[in-house]
Amino acid sequence: MLPGLFDGTTIPVLQEVLCFAQARHNVLAGNVANADTPNYQVRDLSLENFQQRLKEAISARARQSASVSPGMLSQSDPGDAMRHVRESTKSIQFLDGSDVGIEQQVTEVAKNQFLHNLALAIMNSQFQLLQTAISENV
Amino acid sequence: MLRALDISTSALVAQRIRLNAISSNLANMSSVRDENGELQPFKERFVVFQPDEELRTSHGAVGVKVESVRTETVEPNYRYQPGHPLAIQQGKWKGYVAYPNIDMMGQFVDALIATRAYEANLGIMEVTKNLSERSLRIIG
Repeated sequence: MLPGLFDGTTIPVLQEVLCFAQARHNVLAGNVANADTPNYQVRDLSLENFQQRLKEAISARARQSASVSPGMLSQSDPGDAMRHVRESTKSIQFLDGSDVGIEQQVTEVAKNQFLHNLALAIMNSQFQLLQTAISENV
Repeated sequence: MLRALDISTSALVAQRIRLNAISSNLANMSSVRDENGELQPFKERFVVFQPDEELRTSHGAVGVKVESVRTETVEPNYRYQPGHPLAIQQGKWKGYVAYPNIDMMGQFVDALIATRAYEANLGIMEVTKNLSERSLRIIG
């Protein structure tokens, strides 16, 4: 469908951000669900890792003077930011061996939601620009 | 902006730990033995807060963390109960039983303060979230 329609925009990049936010939301929801599970370790997707890889992908595409295409991050396997779920022990472990702090997890969910909404808002305005161009109404 | 959420969260955690300590103080108001079964009245737990430098922003705002949980050092509350199986057998307090010296009113007031502080931080988080949502409206 119209290859290159979105190439001039940042929509493919925003799509990756949205995918990441959704994947991370799932992981965080799992943390909240397991708040009372003994020996459960908090899981998370690394936002820094994702942003680093996104940055590399964008600059690699810019060097080839090609556009950023959807799904470019998930193709490469090693250290895949979307699937590399790590167990971290950031906070104090409770006596049952788990370390889920419900407040921290809910805050992470809220921050992740903000990232999601931010990407969505920018994407919306990009689509509005395209819409304006297509309908030739100013 | 999102650092503000982290700071509020650190306060939520700290106040929850404080509330836990208060519940434990009230639950053990009459515990005459300690956790090892020794004849030692329960000692009131105090949660001590400290600014958390790990959550420092570039503008100097800091989070909060629990520095330590300390125990009180006041005298136990001696009640004269000579027939009690755990009454002290000799010395100045012969016939007395040592109970924890916990001020119930003080604990309730502390619990109220901790709850209000928790709610206040939840309110701040709500404001922070509103602010960031509003800033999205600049885009569209």
